[in-house]
Amino acid sequence: MTAAVADAPVAGAVPSFQVTLRLRRFNPENDTEPRWEEHTVTMHGTDRVLDALHKIKWEIDGSLTFRRSCAHGICGSDAMRINGRNRLACKTLLKDLPLDKPVTVEPIKGLAVLKDLVVDMDPFFEAYKSIMPFLITSGNEPSRERRQSPEDRARYDDTTKCIMCAACTSSCPVYWSDGQYFGPQAIVGAHRFIFDSRDEGAEQRLEILNDRDGVWRCRTTFNCTDACPRGIEVTKAIQEVKRALLFRRV
Amino acid sequence: MAEIERHRFDVLVVGAGGAGLRAAIAAHDAGAKVGIVCKSLLGKAHTVMAEGGIAAAMANVWKEDNWQVHFRDTMRGGKMLNHWRMAQLHAQEAPDRVRELEEWGALFDRTPDGLISQRDFGGHRYARLAHVGDRTGLELIRTLQQRAVALGIEVFMECTITKLVKGDGRIAGAFGYWRESGRFIAFDAPSVVLATGGIGKSYKVTSNSWEYTGDGHALALEAGASLVNMEFVQFHPTGMVWPPSVKGILVTESVRGDGGVLRNSEGRRFMFDYIPEFFKAETADSEDEADRWYEDKTNNRRPPELLPRDEVARAINAEVKAGRGSPHGGVFLDIASRRSPEYVRRRLPSMYHQFKELADVDITAEPMEVGPTCHYVMGGVAVDPDTGESAVQGLYAAGEVAGGMHGANRLGGNSLSDLLVFGRRTGLNAAYAAARLRRRPEVGDDDIRAASEHALAPFGIEGGENPYAVQQDLQEVMHNLVGIIRTADEMEQALTDLAGLWERITRLSVEGHRQYNPGWHLALDLHNMLRVSECIARAALERTESRGGHTRDDYPATDDSWGRVNLHCRIDGDGVGITPEPLPQMPDELRELFN
Repeated sequence: MTAAVADAPVAGAVPSFQVTLRLRRFNPENDTEPRWEEHTVTMHGTDRVLDALHKIKWEIDGSLTFRRSCAHGICGSDAMRINGRNRLACKTLLKDLPLDKPVTVEPIKGLAVLKDLVVDMDPFFEAYKSIMPFLITSGNEPSRERRQSPEDRARYDDTTKCIMCAACTSSCPVYWSDGQYFGPQAIVGAHRFIFDSRDEGAEQRLEILNDRDGVWRCRTTFNCTDACPRGIEVTKAIQEVKRALLFRRV
Repeated sequence: MAEIERHRFDVLVVGAGGAGLRAAIAAHDAGAKVGIVCKSLLGKAHTVMAEGGIAAAMANVWKEDNWQVHFRDTMRGGKMLNHWRMAQLHAQEAPDRVRELEEWGALFDRTPDGLISQRDFGGHRYARLAHVGDRTGLELIRTLQQRAVALGIEVFMECTITKLVKGDGRIAGAFGYWRESGRFIAFDAPSVVLATGGIGKSYKVTSNSWEYTGDGHALALEAGASLVNMEFVQFHPTGMVWPPSVKGILVTESVRGDGGVLRNSEGRRFMFDYIPEFFKAETADSEDEADRWYEDKTNNRRPPELLPRDEVARAINAEVKAGRGSPHGGVFLDIASRRSPEYVRRRLPSMYHQFKELADVDITAEPMEVGPTCHYVMGGVAVDPDTGESAVQGLYAAGEVAGGMHGANRLGGNSLSDLLVFGRRTGLNAAYAAARLRRRPEVGDDDIRAASEHALAPFGIEGGENPYAVQQDLQEVMHNLVGIIRTADEMEQALTDLAGLWERITRLSVEGHRQYNPGWHLALDLHNMLRVSECIARAALERTESRGGHTRDDYPATDDSWGRVNLHCRIDGDGVGITPEPLPQMPDELRELFN
């Protein structure tokens, strides 16, 4: 429901709207099942979903629980399912959503809900750790920096942009049905090292991803690429890892 | 009393930003059993938001650069109130810390020869900031996080420390709670490293994230340490001013380092009108010279847009006050008319997206509107420069929570290098000290009982104050009365208002239970925010001059006699007392660098 507020806007003022948020809530101390709850708040056209959640928490229900930190899309704390799509609440402007019906906000899928919009991130971090997300080298430590040409550096630039928000992993239908699958983020994390010219651990990482819960589970639905708030070509990265595995065998 | 979860470590690190992670890695490498406690998930700490780069005199781009030049820039940027020894160690060790990050796999932008590239920033004589696009903090924290994973260091995520515990007159450990379950947890550790970052969430307009509630500052103060230089709060000159929902979010100094200029509503590059005597000799006095400097640093002087942050923030403030501001109360930051769209998108991709998505502004085609935003606190725990130990035995501090390194004003890029240099030093020394200790004090049951009662107090009150409302009122007080320009009357009013807020936080009430309850978490954080705010207001009232990040409308001049003292805050009764202490004496061979 959208209704411009009656007062004529003063110069430079932002038009404001009534926005209804339909929140998926769960309090483990009282609820056996998650429930829906609606709140209507007055917001500005330039506000984000995060601002609406803050307004509800600060003024209506102080127990509303969600993660957020930097509030402009760098830390990756506030990935949520907004109108059925994984996005960061701090980068989703209300004016870009259809406001003639309630905006639904749910926790990301595939990870256990702890409270309201907060999910258990432990399995996500475990998957990340399992692909050995650190540079592997042999030989003596260099006395100066290793040289890396701008071209070699550009080769893996895309996958270093990951902010570990879990939007990709929790948008993946394979991950929803099978929590054993590493999920897109872990493969992105592996890609970042496999294609780094300085790294010597590609073999080990590829072997891990060749596992039955590894990269071959990907069904190329592109959900992850659509979900990534950093614009990383996640599916392409996964395909590159698959290709690396195939070539290795050739 | 019910048994609570307990852990034993040689070194407990509080905070998992750059300083905390680097300290933990150093302590681990020195053989200590290390635990890291952090309020948020691993990798989300404030360091992640740093954009510009890591200042280090590597001389990859300008061979004239060396640690002495970096040291001199840092001291002058800090208006000579820095602890000289910290500034020296920082300048000397920063290049090795950057190379070590590279060795651990960090991505850097490279020169055509494949060396780590370095960019220009305010107050730095040469292009000195090692960087990756405008996401350097993200890469720094990710690299350290990866290193910590590789070493198997234990991390307690979403866990908050509320109390440091002492025994035998020294640190014995710490007490806190799990955010998820609300259950308490105690750590026995003879060395505790505070790496909790800053205090910005006490201000209304800030670039800081929610974690920045001054926890480490308050914990140290209440454990008996002193805080130094608390009157110096950095207002970054360029935060977003529009739209309101994103007011305060940072616009990196790299925009100016890469050629962006500031203009007022008349289109004038006004920074030429604000070059202080102190920096005249090294600052360009014409647009032509300033523009030539980007290509030829030997024969030209630096553009005034790249003066230290305090100078630029004050100038913007003055332009807006004089009625020459932009439509939304800032000034214009213009890179669109000076660099190609491809250059802007390649060098400043995050800024490009930030403005496109949040403000609907294409920075390759039109100017940004910017204004000052609370960004960094120079003040912090007074520490021994070589070891990072505070006045409390066994209690260490590194990074933004530590004081001294940056004096009255921090140069951009010197924070990430500070985290690395002093994170490592502090971690090593905390580990050595723990190993040397013959008898370790224990965290006592009485201490745990007292800390539990304090933490649970907000649940015992019904119909009391809403913690969110109190926080908003605190932010108003600090923003309006102890902000970028200060006067005695306003700060006295602030102290009265803070006393009122102290009284209100004894009546906070919290809805619901202990499981993941953000209202309760804030209620506990507010105690720290008030402690720190009181330190800032008292120290700022005491210092009757203007210098660096402290500007007094009633004392606009810099006063040499104030250039010889640091102010220290300590607990005094229920409140905070201020003591002036003489500046540490710089040895002659360093003093000569300023002649």
